[in-house]
Formats: sequence, C-alpha cells, structure tokens
Amino acid sequence: MALPLPPGLTPPEIAFLCEMELVTVIPRQRLEGLDLLGGRTPPLHPPQRANLPLWLALLLKRQRRANILPPPWLSPPALAAILELESTAHAAAPPRLPLAPPGILPISPPFLPSSTADAPRDALPYHWLELGEILLEAASDDFEDPDAVRRLMRDLREVRMANMRKGVEVFDAQGGLSMTGFGGMEVAEGRAFIGGVIDGLRKIGAARERSGDGDQDDQDNGFPSTADDYDDEMDM
Amino acid sequence: MDIDDILAEALHVSAPQETLDLQELTRAWVAERVAPELLPYPDALMERVLTRIRRQIETVEEQTGNMDPKTNFKLIVIQTELERFKFLVRSFLRARVAKIDKYPLHVQQNSAEYLSPSESQYLTAHQNLLASHYQSSFLSQFPNSLQKLDDTQGGISMIDAPDPDTAVFCRALRDVGEINVVGTDRAFEMKRGDVRVVRWSAIREKVLAGDIELV
Repeated sequence: MALPLPPGLTPPEIAFLCEMELVTVIPRQRLEGLDLLGGRTPPLHPPQRANLPLWLALLLKRQRRANILPPPWLSPPALAAILELESTAHAAAPPRLPLAPPGILPISPPFLPSSTADAPRDALPYHWLELGEILLEAASDDFEDPDAVRRLMRDLREVRMANMRKGVEVFDAQGGLSMTGFGGMEVAEGRAFIGGVIDGLRKIGAARERSGDGDQDDQDNGFPSTADDYDDEMDM
Repeated sequence: MDIDDILAEALHVSAPQETLDLQELTRAWVAERVAPELLPYPDALMERVLTRIRRQIETVEEQTGNMDPKTNFKLIVIQTELERFKFLVRSFLRARVAKIDKYPLHVQQNSAEYLSPSESQYLTAHQNLLASHYQSSFLSQFPNSLQKLDDTQGGISMIDAPDPDTAVFCRALRDVGEINVVGTDRAFEMKRGDVRVVRWSAIREKVLAGDIELV
C-alpha cells in the first residue's frame, strides 16, 4: 500500500504534472463546457481557439476533434534565438518567466499560462522539455516543421545540460546551489546526483567537524589524541 | 503595485474554488513526495476534494446507460479527469503511508497532530500488532532491560527519524528575503521564482507557511 518510490518526483510523475499545463487548441467540433473536478472547461465552438489542459487537448487530438496550436516558443526561430543565447551566455541562468505576483495562493507551474498561444516567445517555461516532447509525439502534424523543432530541442537540451554540469563545480554541502532556470525534467534528472553529492559532502563535513571537536577536547584536557582514540570512536 | 500585479490578482480572484483546490492538491502532493518528513494533513482540502470525487462518480454512474454518442464522449472526458484526480489523491496518501511506515515511532511522538484520523488509527493499530507480535515471539525471552523497542539510552536512539538536513529542491513563491542555514554561516536571498537546492531544515518553516514550494 505504501508508495515504494524514494523521495523526489520521478520522470513519469513530472510528465503527469506537465499534462496540467494549459495549451491552445483549435476545435473541429462543438463541445459544451464540462463540469470537471478541476473547474469548468470553456465551451468549444469551431473555429474559435480555446485554452485547455494538455491532457484534454491530447484526448481531443487523438480523436481528431481538435488541433493543438504549438506555443510560440516552440517554433524554430524562437528556439534558435534561445539556443543562441544559451550557448553564448556561459553558465548564466536562461531567461525564465516571472512567477505571478503574491496572492492568497500564488500560482506556479504547471498552472501558469506559459504554453498557450499568447505566451511569450523568448522564454522557456518550466515544463519546456516534457511539453515539447509530448507535443512532437502526439501532434507533430500541427507543427510547420517538426523535424527542425526536434533538432533544435535536442541541441538546446545538450547546451543546457552542459550549463548544468558547469554548475556542479560550485557544489558545496552548506548552502544552496541555485538551480534557477532549469526545467522540471532537468531537475528530476539531476536530483539523484546533486542531492546525493550534497548529502554526502554534508556527512563528510559533519564527521570532520566532530573529529575536529574531539581534538579540541583532548587538548583542553591535556591529553593528546592517539590512534587508540580513533579506534574507540570506530567501535561506537 | 503595477499593472501586472493587478491583472494577476484579478485572474486569481476569478479562478473558481475547484481550480484553486486542484492547484493546492497538486502542490501538496509534490511536497509530500519530496519532503523527507511527514507534512500536516490538509483536512479541509481533502474533505472538499473527496466530496467532489464522490459526486462525480455518481454522475458517471447515472449517465453510463446513455448511449447517445455525444454524451458518451463527454463521459470519456469526465472519466479521464476522474482517474487523474484519483491518481493524485492516491499517490498523495500512499506517500504519507510510506513515511508513517518508515518512521512509526518518530511520527507517533513528534508529529501525531499531522495525521488524519484514519492515518492515526492505522498507525496505532499497526504498532500495537507489531509490538504484541514481537513480544510473544521473542522479546519476552530477553532480559527486562532489553525489551524496549523505543530505547533512547546509551547514545544511540532506537527510534528512526528522517534526516532534517536532506537536500531538497525548492522554488520561492514570494520574495522570502534572507535564509540562514542552521549550523553554518551560510545565508542567501531567495526571490520569487528562484529554484535552489537547500537543506530541508533551513526552509521547512517557509514551506509550511506557503512561501516556498518544493519541486
């Protein structure tokens, strides 16, 4: 009954989150608004565009009841511009969408409208990798040039992974490594490694601190620390 | 306050309760999956979500007999969403049970008020069963001083506890200002939208207050 997974979201769970992102569809059939558990969906009147969560858009697409409009940042020129920026700005955080201002419950991805047709074109949203892959697989006929998009996505991913690896050099156990700018899937990929290294470093640091304190005490007592002391510590 | 703030606030206020609940449940699920320790049970939220799920199931049951293709498709959409919601709730509860199973005594002693009624019933019943089983199968033959399951004497505690210094990934939802990492001289500022890897103990309070979310 208990969940057998270790802490931290797994890639399928990230994809599940990503499917809550809003995307713009062009319906081919009428559909009234439905009272869903997550709120009422807008009524669909072809050819008026509507914003729907990705899972619903995919369902409609699969039944050929709608076409999905790829978000502006997922077009070859926009991707090429972002790629250019990422490859020149070394290890700098890529441009990201600002979060919605504070409210009672601030909105955050996947509920920000960052992948609809009127989203900004010069910034990647948090779920860019997952969303791009899902759309390319399920709705490649809605892209003008799916192969170019695919190629640019792959380049972008490699450049960003390289940037992330550069960040590894500034690892330490105490503080906090800034991951601002990395997407959900990239965080999930780096989680085991980065989390493991930081926890490991912290434990080494703690052990060193403790043995350092031990030395201090020994000196205070006037007894130099000997190899026996270490043996005792090991026994405990 | 600039125009964006006003717009966003208007957007926020106009969102129906259902949508807000979905956002809150999603955030709670992610937090529970990522955090090393058990978090408070969101009573009111779960109550609302479970009532709605129950009502939606009734709607589906009532309309299943209807063979009209249009209604049929609507039902497919409704059922797909229902399954997604059920997955969220189930995964959320299972993540909690996993933590309760892993640190039963720690949860009983330190965060009993975070449990829902059925979780606390489960924990008590399960612990009693285990204790009586151990007692009858081998513990009764041990010397009295060695029979305890929650001995904290002698330098090593028998009670397993989550490591509060585990590194977690988090995102600031508001400008939270300076964060001091306890036990070190490290401090850093977190602004809205910043994602960082931090010790859980350093941001725990802010996460519970809703200023930082886990990712």
